[in-house]
Amino acid sequence: MIHALFIINRSGGLIYSKNFTQQVAQLSSNEALIFAGTFHGIHALASRISPAPKRDSVKDTGIQSIDTKNFRIHCYQTPTGIKFIAVTDLLQTKLSGALNKAYTLYCDYALKNPFYNLEMPIRSEMFDTKLHQLVQSH
Amino acid sequence: MASQSQAQAQAQMHAQSLMKLDNKTSKRSNMLLEQNVSRPRRDRVGLGAFAFLFAEIIRYSQNRVLGIQDLEAKLNEIGQRVGVRMFELSMWREKTVHREMRVLQTLVFINTVVWRALFDKQADSLERSTENDDEYMITDNEPAVLKYISVPKEMSSFSPGAFISGIVEAIARCCQCPARVTSHVVPADGLPLRTVILLKFDKEVMDREKRLEAGK
Amino acid sequence: MEKQYKAIGEEAWKNNAEKINAELFIFTYGSLVVQLVKDYENYSAVNKQLDKMGYNIGVRMVDDMMARTSLERCTGFSATAEVIAKVGFKLFLNVIPTVANWSADAKEFSLILDDNPLNDFCELPPKAVADGLRYSNVLCGVIRGALEMMQMQTEVEYVRDVLCGDDVSEIRVKLLRMLDEEVPASDD
Repeated sequence: MIHALFIINRSGGLIYSKNFTQQVAQLSSNEALIFAGTFHGIHALASRISPAPKRDSVKDTGIQSIDTKNFRIHCYQTPTGIKFIAVTDLLQTKLSGALNKAYTLYCDYALKNPFYNLEMPIRSEMFDTKLHQLVQSH
Repeated sequence: MASQSQAQAQAQMHAQSLMKLDNKTSKRSNMLLEQNVSRPRRDRVGLGAFAFLFAEIIRYSQNRVLGIQDLEAKLNEIGQRVGVRMFELSMWREKTVHREMRVLQTLVFINTVVWRALFDKQADSLERSTENDDEYMITDNEPAVLKYISVPKEMSSFSPGAFISGIVEAIARCCQCPARVTSHVVPADGLPLRTVILLKFDKEVMDREKRLEAGK
Repeated sequence: MEKQYKAIGEEAWKNNAEKINAELFIFTYGSLVVQLVKDYENYSAVNKQLDKMGYNIGVRMVDDMMARTSLERCTGFSATAEVIAKVGFKLFLNVIPTVANWSADAKEFSLILDDNPLNDFCELPPKAVADGLRYSNVLCGVIRGALEMMQMQTEVEYVRDVLCGDDVSEIRVKLLRMLDEEVPASDD
């Protein structure tokens, strides 16, 4: 079950956040911004402390998931550096498929929309609707 | 004096280089002339390519106009140039169709032949306005060219379909039935981008219709 | 390697790309160029604007390509060239240009466009040819924008163009440097 979804831009700014269930607390907008910025920072540091050799081909891509006792945070980073982050229950072991679909929706309903400004928060009813459908069908 | 002859020489050189270019480009003209256009040369490109291009056209136009009406007028103009060309191609390809002059035939031509040529399907409906005799509406439930566009609330009167109405306006004119064509987003259940293209035919067209009806 | 990219491109075109009528796209592009010629009344300014609009498209388009394929970040400039030709061009324009003319330091290559949909139906007036209009210059901007999002700063330009009487169309791509820091993109 996907409880919530966040999208973080290339510079660590939060451009989208949405809760899909009542089971997770609604972060205040300030808390959500801090969450995004902090995650972005830890993600970058994690790929730096990675013991993997620094050749391009095997460069570590940073954090893919964080587990807690009750839930899991998944992160899918696109090759262009955008992060799709989902909060799920512990049964979700792999979420890259669904997050890739969310990436496609972002391309369609944000990037192809002439009224969307790059790196800015996504405000599009169609994006909301499609994402909701995706989460429901997951 | 000297500078004059220099200028002359320069002009001559320029003319020569133009001629040279002409020889080179005429090769291409011949190629173009020999091309068979009775069937499309290529079938499809990615909708993504169109969508990104169209989004950029809207952004570009938006930067050069003051209001929503101007923006729609700009998109209409860009659509018109597409319409003229699609008209010529369609006339060439549909051997059975001859240049229409009647309003209804023109509308059916747009509704079927043109829509299929552009969007690979027929338009979803064609209706006459119940209020005004000279007004007709062509409806497309999901115009592919607008698929990814979300108009922000503060611009809610903007209809990106102005591009489509430009295409239709040009074609109506080419069919000798000039009309003022506008586009309106009229969402229906599950169809947020349902677009109505409204044609209001010029008075001379409606007068001609009456004469033709009477002469029958 | 080359074969693999060809397969990725074809698979993405076949299964993951929505399509649209090519002529509608071609005429719309043509109408844009006419609009720019009217607005700027100067062909080199039109070239510049086309490149700029291409850049704005490229910085967005690269994500669309990545989302619709299983590609990872390219590991070198030669792989990048292959991806542009066999995946990028294929996915959006349904054509595959030839990668050729690598420089000795492997930092420059050419894309030979044997078939460019944008050129269909187009013939330039002699004045436009003489003044150096690059009708499809948008492509240069697209490539430059897309590569910038992949941390590559490049210079991309037309060196030959069939519309200007050359035998082939050739776009030259030159890698200037790799951008290390993640710079936020912005519209030109």
